[in-house]
Amino acid sequence: MLDKSIPFEAVIKWIKKETRDTSTYALKISDSEIQKAFSYKPGQFSMLSVGGIGEAPISISSAPSDHDMTYTIRVAGDVTTAISRLSAGDTIGIRGPFGKGWPLDEIYDSELLLIAGGLGIAPLRPVIKEVLKKHKKNFTKRRPVIIYGSKTPKDIIFRNEFPAYRELFDVSMIVNFADPEEYWKGQIGIVTDSLKKISFNPLNAIAFICGPEVMMQAAAKELVIAGVPGEKIFVSLERNMNCGIGICGHCMFGSKFVCKDGPVFRLTEIEDLFGVKEI
Amino acid sequence: MISKIKKQDLSFLFLELQKTHNIIGHKIEKDVLMLSSIDFGDIPAGYTDSQAAGMYRLVKSDNHDIFTFSSGPDSFKRYLNPPYSEVFAYQVSKRKFNASAIKSYDNPFAFFGMRACDRAALKFYDRVFLEGVVRDSCYETLRDNLLIIALNCLYPGDNCFCLSAGTGPEFTDGYDLLITELEEEFLLETGSRTGSRLINSLPLISVNQKDIEEKALRIKNCKEKFKKTIIFSELPELVYRNLEHPRWSDIAGRDLECGNCTQVCPTCFCTSAFYNLEFRGIAKNFSTLSGKKIKKWDSCFSRNFARVHGGNFRISRRARYRHWFAHKLAYSMEQFGLLGCVGCGRCITWCPAGIDITQELEALRDVR
Repeated sequence: MLDKSIPFEAVIKWIKKETRDTSTYALKISDSEIQKAFSYKPGQFSMLSVGGIGEAPISISSAPSDHDMTYTIRVAGDVTTAISRLSAGDTIGIRGPFGKGWPLDEIYDSELLLIAGGLGIAPLRPVIKEVLKKHKKNFTKRRPVIIYGSKTPKDIIFRNEFPAYRELFDVSMIVNFADPEEYWKGQIGIVTDSLKKISFNPLNAIAFICGPEVMMQAAAKELVIAGVPGEKIFVSLERNMNCGIGICGHCMFGSKFVCKDGPVFRLTEIEDLFGVKEI
Repeated sequence: MISKIKKQDLSFLFLELQKTHNIIGHKIEKDVLMLSSIDFGDIPAGYTDSQAAGMYRLVKSDNHDIFTFSSGPDSFKRYLNPPYSEVFAYQVSKRKFNASAIKSYDNPFAFFGMRACDRAALKFYDRVFLEGVVRDSCYETLRDNLLIIALNCLYPGDNCFCLSAGTGPEFTDGYDLLITELEEEFLLETGSRTGSRLINSLPLISVNQKDIEEKALRIKNCKEKFKKTIIFSELPELVYRNLEHPRWSDIAGRDLECGNCTQVCPTCFCTSAFYNLEFRGIAKNFSTLSGKKIKKWDSCFSRNFARVHGGNFRISRRARYRHWFAHKLAYSMEQFGLLGCVGCGRCITWCPAGIDITQELEALRDVR
């Protein structure tokens, strides 16, 4: 069993710039024993630490079957800024993996809806990749759907990977604002606009949602109105995770510790408080 | 095993304990009962505390009993989850990230005079630190070696409501040695093998039926002295039903968000961690940084408690008070199967604004 209270050393293998403020970092844990023991599921997160600065919870953006473990990080606070100043070959501390991931065993024979807003695509990427790699044949009857909302076309992450996703998925991209500098022929609006346009059988659908909380609330509400049962809607919450093991209290959402009970929740688990302001 | 000991002979227990343990008990410091490493002479014999919402005075009572005081602001949580502790030490450079655990071994603790409310809080702590996804190794070590010398509370404070919170005042289990003060002697009950071994060498007196009856009578008298109550059977529903009650805004108008309640609460466990950087003069090689990760008590009343980049999940005072209150009286039951409030009344006494958790709960019952 891994010690989850002390970070291990990991080396940055490569860095890929996704957008102006977001990059993907491939990490390799230096100790090969720990590397083997560090097995993760889609939707889990780790605490990345930079010495002298602090720790930040970052979700894993690679699939367990991928060669490299990656983290897609947007510059937001002290720690992510410090990470953005590192380069390939530098070291970083890592603790984890933490939390419960997406319930991949529930997606078979369902109409899979992946709904992402902004950086929320990062924790959903492992799901996309797992489906592409392992579960293609489970989706022959009905193509899975990705709805991805982004602020502007420039903020689209994993842009070069979408052509590959389109082979299996129906991808619908939507931006809040179309950049004047860039030609955008896609939809303009918010995620729920896009969601309203697609057709699916609500009783056979399963939805994974990740993004800003208002967007998740709106999307979940839309799905419920469409007739999708709450048991089949999953959201990945963002909170101020600090310890990762449910003893620091920072990430509480009502009675749930987002770090250990989540970050992925079934809507029925949290719907009483989902939408209560400042819970 | 039940036996008796003369009151002054309790000093022998201290002599015996001091050989192996660091005895933590109540001691008067700056006119307040604090917990610290104590000797027999430090017991604040015959002191009593007068408490009200936002008021605390320690006075000498005319009572002839020794343990006439109730809880001060301090609770035993300080020794198991210290207000400030070092988690690990690190040395980092561009090419190296090394973190190693800090282990320190001291004499194990013996908690002397632990009341039933604080014992219930310890049970809550066990659920938090030992029954989660990962056992907290630091807590586990301290807890495994802990000796509990419990005390049946006979003089509840004015803000106490353990009776209705279902945690006290009487002990039924969870102690190594239990002391009940009688008119002339102390009644000693052992609850573990360690406890039995501890009192073997003491000058014990045998117990008769009269003593047992006296204990029962004293506890019965104690139960009649409680002034505050909560209605346990209505929790957690009463809180969940009223998350949008106007009372929360009313409380926010009085609340100073000082966080005193979270510091004195024996079940509050929230912490924040920081990376401390150590400067050792002018280093020859600036590329290597070293320091420690520090864990400090935090409070959900602090503004940054629920902050993430780009937002704060509990920006208003109303929401932060509601979160604390609901965690104590509702969330905790789902999380740990226990009420997060043990009825010690500390948050009432030490609230500078005199906000009373029992009255606020009662106010939620009002139809809006």
